[in-house]
Amino acid sequence: MNGSVDRLLDVARLQKRYSSGTLAIEDVSLDVGRGEFVSIVGPSGCGKTTLLKTICGLLRPTSGSVTLDGKLVTAPPPEMALVFQDYARSLFPWLTVAGNVAFPLKRKLAPAMRARAVDAALAAVGLADFAARYPWQLSGGMQQRVAIARAVAFAPEILLLDEPFASVDALTRADLEDLTLKLRADLGITMLLVTHDIDEAVYLSDRVFVLSPPPSVVVREVAIGLPKPREQERTRSDARFLGLRNEIHHMIGQPRPVN
Amino acid sequence: MKRTGLGIATVVVLLLVWEAVARAKQSLYLPPVSTVAVTFVHEWFSPQFVAEAVPSLVRMFIGYLVAALFGTVIGVLIGAYPPLYRVVDPLLQFLRAIPPTAIIPVAILLIGIGDGMKILVIAFGALWPILVNSADGARAVIRERLDTARVFGIGPVATLLTVTFPSALPGVFAGLRTGLSIAFIMIVVSEMIGSTNGLGYYILQAQRTFAIPEMYGGIVLLAILGYGLNAGFVAVERRVLAWHYGQSARA
Repeated sequence: MNGSVDRLLDVARLQKRYSSGTLAIEDVSLDVGRGEFVSIVGPSGCGKTTLLKTICGLLRPTSGSVTLDGKLVTAPPPEMALVFQDYARSLFPWLTVAGNVAFPLKRKLAPAMRARAVDAALAAVGLADFAARYPWQLSGGMQQRVAIARAVAFAPEILLLDEPFASVDALTRADLEDLTLKLRADLGITMLLVTHDIDEAVYLSDRVFVLSPPPSVVVREVAIGLPKPREQERTRSDARFLGLRNEIHHMIGQPRPVN
Repeated sequence: MKRTGLGIATVVVLLLVWEAVARAKQSLYLPPVSTVAVTFVHEWFSPQFVAEAVPSLVRMFIGYLVAALFGTVIGVLIGAYPPLYRVVDPLLQFLRAIPPTAIIPVAILLIGIGDGMKILVIAFGALWPILVNSADGARAVIRERLDTARVFGIGPVATLLTVTFPSALPGVFAGLRTGLSIAFIMIVVSEMIGSTNGLGYYILQAQRTFAIPEMYGGIVLLAILGYGLNAGFVAVERRVLAWHYGQSARA
């Protein structure tokens, strides 16, 4: 499918069973090309967060493997960053906005370089004027921008996003989606998004992997051939957009494939 | 502002009642508040403050500092490692249930009645609330914050210092506050049992020699010191935990 593109991330026959015995992920294989935007969609509670945590090395797979740039992932690799769904739980309330963004850079960069990286990351998400504030003084959408800036400042090859826009209102959500697309275009970061929102996945992605209800398997891989740059109104009213979202909706409702 | 006014008025009324009752009864054991006040000024605006109050405060601060240091460090470490917490929790609950005054005889037996004994019992009394609350604070660290540190390649020691410890601070301060009031109680009790100076000794000595206004004056001084210590503590807490209160106010 994606042979011509340089493969950055390769997830092969991943299985994850909790210590309780529950099988969360049965068999998931997927790949992400360098510079690509890939989404994983599935119904709520289908183990998407578990999948993402396993991919980034926070959890060990029961079997199968995750390879990043040809190296087996056994612990969080320095080329990878993760944005969590709940900014209020992932940001540090005792640090200022700038302090939060500088957090992952403490050992990576010298102080002068660090300050520059923080400024650049905050400017990239439109929060240059809020460096001295505390996250809890900002709106939800702005807090998620801080979390995104923190991940971007880390300068990852690939950014994993775990339902990053699920806790904000619809307008803010559209803003953050476009911000993500802009960051990807400007900085060339590869994106892997997990979401239960089909429209969002279609709008943002080059390819979408559709997951079954748990234990998860990949139901289908869908190439999104929509023209770029994407624009909220134009893209979402495109007949092909509607066709793709209906197709994926239909797949999610379907029973799991038999092997 | 209005509440503060009412609060002061209440104190003034109570003092007037004390004065009136004392004058009416003419009892040796209940001198008028005006007599107590005169004695207080005479006794404490004098070198006596250095002789009696300063030793008490110094012992208390050393004992409290020891308790704060060990309680916070050990508490946060225990709370940061759930398997360790499960092992030591029953022991901690048992030790903290001992009224600290009960170990005074043990301390006297082991190290005599000197300053060491007083510092030990103060530290022992203040240690448990600080330790247990610090452990609870560290246990309350949010999973996503630890995961964030791991994703960004922050090592376990740095994570403990920069994520778990700040997360535990609200618990640490809850413990420090309880510990401070226990330390204050323990200094008075320990000085009443075996001492030749200090406020606890002074109050007991005044009572035994029928220096009743002096006895009340000593208690008033304790009240003032306790109030001041607590106010100072709250001021520090408000500063250090500004982020915590700010965040809670928004939530």
